[in-house]
Amino acid sequence: MTTNTSNINIDKNLLAAILDRLIPAVDDLPSAGQMELTGEIVRLSGQQARFQKIFVNAMEAFATANPDFASLTGAEQDDATRAFESDSPELFDSLLTISYIVYYKDERVHKRIGWSGRTPQPDGNEMEPWDESVLENMRKRKPFWRTV
Amino acid sequence: MTTQNAQLEQAEETVDILVIGAGASGGAATAWLAEAGFKVKCLEQGYWQDPSKYASASKDYEFEMLTNWSPDPNKRQLDEDYPVNDKNSPVTPVMFNGVGGSTILWTAHTPRFHPSDFRVKTLDGVADDWPITYDELEEFYDLNDEVMGCSGINGDPANPPRSPRQMPPLPLGKDGRKLISGFEKLGWHWWPSDSYVNSQRYGEGRDACNFCGHNHMGCYQRAKSSTDLTYWPRALRSGATIETGARVRRVTTDEQGRATGADYIDSKGKEQHQSARAVIMAANGIGTPRLMLNSKSDAHPDGLANTSGLVGKNLMFHPFAMISGVFPEKLDSWQGPLGNIGLSQEFYETDKSRGFVRGYTYQFQRSLGPAWIAKGGFRDPIPWGDGHHEELEKRLGSVMGMAVIGEDLPEEHNTVDLDPELTDSDGIPAPRLNYTLSKNSRDQLDHAIENAKKVLEAAGADDIHVDPMMRQSGWHLMGTARMGDDPEKSVVDKWGQAHDVDNLFIVDGSVFVTGAAVNPTPTIQALALRTADYIVSNRQDLKG
Ligand SMILES: Cc1cc2nc3c(=O)[nH]c(=O)nc-3n(C[C@H](O)[C@H](O)[C@H](O)COP(=O)(O)OP(=O)(O)OC[C@H]3O[C@@H](n4cnc5c(N)ncnc54)[C@H](O)[C@@H]3O)c2cc1C
Ligand code: SF4
Repeated sequence: MTTNTSNINIDKNLLAAILDRLIPAVDDLPSAGQMELTGEIVRLSGQQARFQKIFVNAMEAFATANPDFASLTGAEQDDATRAFESDSPELFDSLLTISYIVYYKDERVHKRIGWSGRTPQPDGNEMEPWDESVLENMRKRKPFWRTV
Repeated sequence: MTTQNAQLEQAEETVDILVIGAGASGGAATAWLAEAGFKVKCLEQGYWQDPSKYASASKDYEFEMLTNWSPDPNKRQLDEDYPVNDKNSPVTPVMFNGVGGSTILWTAHTPRFHPSDFRVKTLDGVADDWPITYDELEEFYDLNDEVMGCSGINGDPANPPRSPRQMPPLPLGKDGRKLISGFEKLGWHWWPSDSYVNSQRYGEGRDACNFCGHNHMGCYQRAKSSTDLTYWPRALRSGATIETGARVRRVTTDEQGRATGADYIDSKGKEQHQSARAVIMAANGIGTPRLMLNSKSDAHPDGLANTSGLVGKNLMFHPFAMISGVFPEKLDSWQGPLGNIGLSQEFYETDKSRGFVRGYTYQFQRSLGPAWIAKGGFRDPIPWGDGHHEELEKRLGSVMGMAVIGEDLPEEHNTVDLDPELTDSDGIPAPRLNYTLSKNSRDQLDHAIENAKKVLEAAGADDIHVDPMMRQSGWHLMGTARMGDDPEKSVVDKWGQAHDVDNLFIVDGSVFVTGAAVNPTPTIQALALRTADYIVSNRQDLKG
C-alpha cells in the first residue's frame, strides 16, 4: 500500500549525515550524503506503509539517541551509528536498506561499478544456449537411486 | 456452535464442488474436474495478477521485492494477505495469495520425489510410509509436467527414468558451469534441474525465459509457469468459475457432519455463503489447517475432520542452509532464473554411516542486483562505511550459492494452530506456528554444509560463507493434515478424502506424510490431479 510522503517529517540533514557514514566517497563519487539522495529515499520509503513506518521510527529514534550527530567527528559518528545498529537492529536495517537501494539505483553509481542499470525486464539478459556435452561424465554414471 | 449460518446471503446456486484456494493445487484440481463436467467454483481471497505490472520492470524493483512483493505475508501486508504468528518458529513461512497462489512467486524448480520417499518407515524405520507409491503417482507427475511445461533432460542417474521433458534444459550460465566444475572434480552427482520455466515458447501465450533473474517477483515474460497461466485458463474454458477477493471464514457442515459449503467474506466485505455438494481444501499447508481448525461445529467440535487430532500437527518445512562462495572472476551471476540451474543428489538416499537418516538435495543458487548484494543477499552483509566499495565490487556478479534442502521428518509437536489474539482484516484468527528443528534435520544440514564447502573450494571459490539455517525459507508447507490408511493416525485417506467427512477432500501440501528432500510442488499438483481423477471415477454422485 502506498502512503503519503508529503506529511512525513524526516530530518534530511541528519539523513544525509548518516548516509555519509554508511556509504563513503569513492573514486570520483562523493559520499552518499552529498549526492542528493534524501528526497528519493523519503519518496521511495512511502511506497509501502509498513516500511515507511519503520523508517520514520528509525529516523526519530536515531535523532533522539544522537541529538548532536552533526557536530561529532567522523569516527564518533561511526561509533554512534554502530551503537544504534546494535541497540535497534530492525530500525537500523530499514535505514541501511533504503540507503543502499537508492544509492545503487543511481546512474552515477552504475557507471562506476559497471552495472547496466537496466531494470530486469523487459529486455532480460543474453545467455549461451544449453550444451549437452557437459553431461558426458554424468551420463557414464550408473543409476544409484534406491529401489523399493 | 451452529451447523450452518442460515442468515448469510446465499452466493449462488449450489455447485458440485467448491474449491478453496486458487494456487498450485486448487488450479490443477479445478481444471481436471471442470473438464470432466463437474460444476466447480473456487473461492480465492486474492486477485488475478497482470504480468505486465510485475515489479521486475520497475526502477524500484530492489525496493519492491522487500516490501510490496515480499514473499513473507507479514512484510507484504496486502489486504488479501493474512498474518502468520511465526515467533515460535526459526523458519518464516512464505507464500502468495492470489490466483496462481504461491506459484506467482515461486522459483519453479521442479524435481520429483524418489521412490524411497514413499517408503521411509519400511526402508529406514522412521516416520510413516505413504499409502501410495511413486509408481501410482507417476502418470500424474507426467500430466502435470505437460500442463505446466517442464524444461529438463532425461537420464539423471539419481532418479528413475521419466517421460521426455517438454523443453531442453535452461542454459547453465557461466556461474552454473563454474559450480559444476566443483562437482565434477569431486566425482559427485549433479544434473540440470527440471524447471517449470520455458526454455522455449510453450503453452498459451507463454514466451521463453529471457534470463532476467527475478522469478521470485512474478514473471513478466510469462515464461515461468504459474497456475493462473496454465490450469486456470483451461478450468475457466471448461465452465469453472472463480470468485476473487473471497476470503473463506469456515467450511460449513450439516448435522451429520458432511460438508455443505463455506461461509466467506466477499470483495465488498459482505458475508456470504456458498453451498456445495463437496468441498476441496487447497489453501496450502498453513491456510488449510487454519480453516479446518476455525470450522468447529457440533459435529466437529475439535475442528473439521479432526477426530485424529492431527489437523495442524506434523508441520514440515524444508529447513534450508545456504553455503555461498565468492569467485575470483566475474560470473554474471545475476543472469538467469535464480534457482533453476542444477541440483546434486549425491547424498539423497539414506546412508546410516553418516549419522542421520534420509538425505538432502543441493539446489544451485544465483544472486541478484547491487543493493541486494550489499545487504548480503543469501550471505553476510557487506560492511557499511570503510571497505564497503571494495567488498561490493568483489561480490557483484561473483557470488554463487548452494541451498541445502534436507528431508524434515514429521513431528507432532511442530504445529499450526489458531492464534488467540492475532486475526486477519476480517477478524478470522491467524495461524500460529510452533516449530523446532529436529536433531536429525540439524545433522543433515551440518553434513551438507561440510560437503558444500568442498564443492565450492573445488570450483575455485574463496571466502565461503555459511548460513546454517535461513530464516525466510518456509517455502514448502507440508504435513498438517496427513494422508494414511488408519483414521486414527491420519486426516485423509490415500485419495485425499477426509476419513471423517466423505465429501471433503484436501489437495495441498497438508496431506504429505513425509516431505522428501526436494521442492514439493510437482508432487502437490500430481496428488491434486490424482484426487480429482478419483472424484471423476468414483464420485459421480457429487454431480447435481
Ligand atoms: C518464493 C517462493 C519460492 C518457491 N519456490 C518453489 C520451487 O522452486 N519449487 C517448488 O516446488 N515449490 C516452490 N515454492 C512453493 C510452492 O509455491 C508451493 O508449494 C505451492 O504453491 C503450494 O501450492 P498450494 O496449492 O498448496 O498453495 P498455494 O499455491 O499457496 O495457494 C493457496 C491459495 O489459497 C488461498 N487461500 C488461503 N486461505 C484462503 C481463504 N481463507 N479463503 C480463500 N482463499 C484462501 C491463497 O490466497 C492462495 O492463493 C515456492 C514458494 C515461494 C513463496
Ligand atoms: S528469469 Fe526467466 S522465468 Fe524468471 S522471471 Fe525472468 S524471464 Fe521469467
